Amino acid sequence: MRIIVHKAKCQGHARCSAQAPDVFKLDDEGYILPGDIEVAEGEQRLASRGARSCPERALELDRTPAARG
Amino acid sequence: MAINPVPDHVPSEMVRDFSLFTSPGMAPTPNGDPHAAVACVHAGPPIFYSPCNTRGGRGTWVITRARDQRRVLQDTETFSSHRSIFSSALGENWPMIPLELDPPAHGVFRSLLNPLLSPKRVMVLEPAVRERAITLIDRIAASGTSCDVMKDFAFPFTVSIFLRLLGLPDHRLDTFVGWAKDLLHGDDVKRPAAARTIVAFIDELATKRRKEPVDDFMTFIVQAQVGGRRLTEEEVRGIGVLVFVAGLDTVAAAIGFGLAYLARNLKDQELLRREPDRIMLAAEELLRAYPTVQIIRVATKDIDFEGAPIRKGDYVSCATMIANRDPAEFECPNTVDLAREENRHAAFGYGPHRCLGSHLARREIVIGLEEWLARIPAFRIKKATAPITSGGHVFGLENLILDWS
Repeated sequence: MRIIVHKAKCQGHARCSAQAPDVFKLDDEGYILPGDIEVAEGEQRLASRGARSCPERALELDRTPAARG
Repeated sequence: MAINPVPDHVPSEMVRDFSLFTSPGMAPTPNGDPHAAVACVHAGPPIFYSPCNTRGGRGTWVITRARDQRRVLQDTETFSSHRSIFSSALGENWPMIPLELDPPAHGVFRSLLNPLLSPKRVMVLEPAVRERAITLIDRIAASGTSCDVMKDFAFPFTVSIFLRLLGLPDHRLDTFVGWAKDLLHGDDVKRPAAARTIVAFIDELATKRRKEPVDDFMTFIVQAQVGGRRLTEEEVRGIGVLVFVAGLDTVAAAIGFGLAYLARNLKDQELLRREPDRIMLAAEELLRAYPTVQIIRVATKDIDFEGAPIRKGDYVSCATMIANRDPAEFECPNTVDLAREENRHAAFGYGPHRCLGSHLARREIVIGLEEWLARIPAFRIKKATAPITSGGHVFGLENLILDWS
């Protein structure tokens, strides 16, 4: 699973990293670091919860076969 | 309250008799539920015009859907937050910073302040926050089997954390709570008087810290630089006043509404007491169900929004308590589900002005609930008492007498 990060939409709610701190890394101001995220096998549930709690809808789950690969 | 006539460009069929200030359930009400009272707008259109929806009696457009509020609050070019809401009460015109600045000026100040209240910084503050909660609750537990949560815990707790952040001594706590109450809930005489007192206090504190710097928030502000220069006195004041106003009432109300819910729902209360790991997620759900703030923007240009002819200068209301009960965004929005996972709630707003203090507020709420549940046995609303709730610009709870005898 991959998470597409729409960095410009991030407003620093930090809901994602509260759910999955190892998946979603923040900068010193508390905003998400740029770049899409490849999620490791064991972290998918938490990562998906984190992405789905973003109030700005800045995190998009990509479950296409290529992303799963 | 002066009521402005509905502007000519507003079609009469888009006007509705609804207001966060004057609708049923918005005035101080024993055992009220102002959040449920406003949720009724979801039976109606996604946007309508309310002729009297600010404290001063101005009309606003009301955006009901979470999706549309997100669009308004993310689009700062069309929907400005520059209103001088505080200073205009004094007949002046300066912005609270960063809230009442628009990008790009907003970003400069926001970046300056973000690290002071970032998730990382809040982790450093956590032990002091927890210690404060424990001290207060232990004192309550030792002195009986009943208390007024607002007076004895929620206000002293949140205000003292805030005083510590600003580097101010605890003994002034009652004074600050008094100013905040007058400012947010006082009448037309008390409000401007409190505003003047707060401005004078912030100005004096800034002068003191300029002369004798210490390791605190205000010293940081007076020493900070933006674009290679020190901040002006007006900018320092704008920041100080915002931190003061934003930090005082809202978190206390959130803790009060949360504990009131748990006092009335003993199964949920017992679940959280037995499994405290659930509190973090539960706190998000309580923030969703009982948020406190109405956000207002000003249109910078004419725009047709979901069929509504918004014209330059119109006020646009994005009430968090309305977005958070949107059935298109939340399954069963009027049911409190403490295990709700998909919870993109708007308690701290959307867009670049997302509440700067949200991370600290969250920690205070979670720690407050954790320590309360760990130290106070099964509690209910005390018989023959009734929590008094109110609507308005900031939803509030005047009292919450709990009993665990």
